[in-house]
Amino acid sequence: MTTKEYIIATSPLKPELKKVISYKRESSDSFTIRLDWQLDHELGQFVFCSLPGVGEAPISICSNSKDYVELNIREVGNMTNALAHVKKGEELLVRGPYGTFYPMDTLKGNDLIIVGGGCGVAPLKGVIDYLHKHTKDYGDISLFFGFRTPADALFRDDHEQWSKVFDLNISYDKMDEPDHPVGAACISGKQGFVTQLVSDNIHDNKNKVAFLCGPTIMIEKTIEVLKKKGFNNNQIFLSAERLMYCGMGKCGRCMIHGKYTCLDGSVFRYDELGKTEE
Amino acid sequence: MQYTLSKNDFSGFVKAVMNTHDFIAPIQGDPSKRVQKTQFQPITAPEDIHIEVGNAYFPVKYYFFDKKETIFEFKGHKVIDPIIKLKDRVFFGLRRCDLTGIKHQDMVFYSNQEDPFYKTRRDASTLIGLHCKEGDDYCFCNSVTNSDFFDLMFFDKGENYAIEVGSEKGQNFISTFHDFFKEAGEIITPADREIKNTFKLDTTDIKKLYFDEQWEELANKCISCGACNTLCPNCHCFTIQDEINFDLHTGKRVRTPASCQVKSFTRVAGEHIFRDTRVARYKHRVYHQLQYFKDRHDELFCTGCGRCIRGCPVRIDWVSHINKMNREDKP
Repeated sequence: MTTKEYIIATSPLKPELKKVISYKRESSDSFTIRLDWQLDHELGQFVFCSLPGVGEAPISICSNSKDYVELNIREVGNMTNALAHVKKGEELLVRGPYGTFYPMDTLKGNDLIIVGGGCGVAPLKGVIDYLHKHTKDYGDISLFFGFRTPADALFRDDHEQWSKVFDLNISYDKMDEPDHPVGAACISGKQGFVTQLVSDNIHDNKNKVAFLCGPTIMIEKTIEVLKKKGFNNNQIFLSAERLMYCGMGKCGRCMIHGKYTCLDGSVFRYDELGKTEE
Repeated sequence: MQYTLSKNDFSGFVKAVMNTHDFIAPIQGDPSKRVQKTQFQPITAPEDIHIEVGNAYFPVKYYFFDKKETIFEFKGHKVIDPIIKLKDRVFFGLRRCDLTGIKHQDMVFYSNQEDPFYKTRRDASTLIGLHCKEGDDYCFCNSVTNSDFFDLMFFDKGENYAIEVGSEKGQNFISTFHDFFKEAGEIITPADREIKNTFKLDTTDIKKLYFDEQWEELANKCISCGACNTLCPNCHCFTIQDEINFDLHTGKRVRTPASCQVKSFTRVAGEHIFRDTRVARYKHRVYHQLQYFKDRHDELFCTGCGRCIRGCPVRIDWVSHINKMNREDKP
């Protein structure tokens, strides 16, 4: 009776090393890293990013380029706090891409409403970059962003450029904080919630499609507002986030009412998600 | 083609198999020893095999989906491929529910991207079933659709075993140990394939019961211990985490089973818990067993082994509860 040795050389859970080519701080608790990774991906997909000894976390891609991958990360947990200390030139373990994506081709000709809250703007940035290049293919494009304070606003350098092409609306939960005066580069916004902006600016559902990404409460409230304006469930796309470990429908952690966030999402059309209590 | 194996030759057969394989069969638990409940273990002698009882207390799944699987080792940022050391093994005495559980795990680990760890352990295994005659107080496999999934299936025919071949691997196994098997005609009768259960599950679609208020009553008894997940032959959820050595430089990434009944199952950074209530977690498990898996793979996940009820420390009998809710729902 002999014991055999099996070397597991190819595994879908095995990551590869990629170099960090730039690191930029966006706000007090978030940063953007660019990886030297020529990844063929779609808009709205995500990758797994890991540091040996710390762990692995799913992070959405916030760029739209074949030459590099950008990840915008907020420091909220062990893994993301550790990632914040990564420096330019260092290497990260990554695998991906995973998940569904925004069906940009099938939505051509529609008006797009993009609603992002806090770090939920990050997965939508790839979409916005794409739309910036393909404005002709779509109708009116409105962006609605909500941030806690002006100092927390993400991608501030791009706001001016975006406001020239799109209808850009920003809301802040708190306008003035002594420590964080409104930055010069920051496009001025209103105090309040992003749902108010959506409610004030959107009047009907004709040829309109909405993309939502942000905290659960923001998504819930925005859906309420859109429903009042006559939106159907199939006109709303939303990004769901769950704890996940594998990205291929095995670990079972990301299941929402029978749907795997990693396989059937993370971009869901609202009518695909059954009614849940979560 | 069906075969027979005389019970007088059985211990000789086991010894012959043990020369080349690990022979894994149910061993009777002894409260004074480490193995306290009946479970599948590699045997040292044919007398160890304990097949008189119904199904083993513990499922066989951990032989395929290791309790602590090393996904890779690392040294700094360098990833080192793991090595799985394994003997070829033969499982004997698997019941239909155990085998269907393995089938469901195959469905999960082979679909989408094939899992090499599971596959390695699975490929080194030959599955020999032993058909039940009757269930115990907790089994309800007659209510679910357990399919024929085995390499070989043994049927107790008094003085000998009648054997049905279910796969090429099973046929090869028969050829390897051909001295012990005699060819026979169609000796397995429909009566042999019957399992008498008294306990039943009403498998009516439970979609409409999702917002039923009675779930609360059931979940209030639950202590979120996760015994049902541990004992279930299907449950496959896992956690991946890094274990770092004292040098803070080397370590390994490991995969361990996880329980959906534990609060931290859906906890994300920022202390947000998606399934925060016991009722939401309990419903998640029951719906995964009876609906979610069926929606995806067109087969009921639950195999009717009854281990979750047998092993529950607070005696939650979810099957009777579902039956009750279904009964009351009917006009």
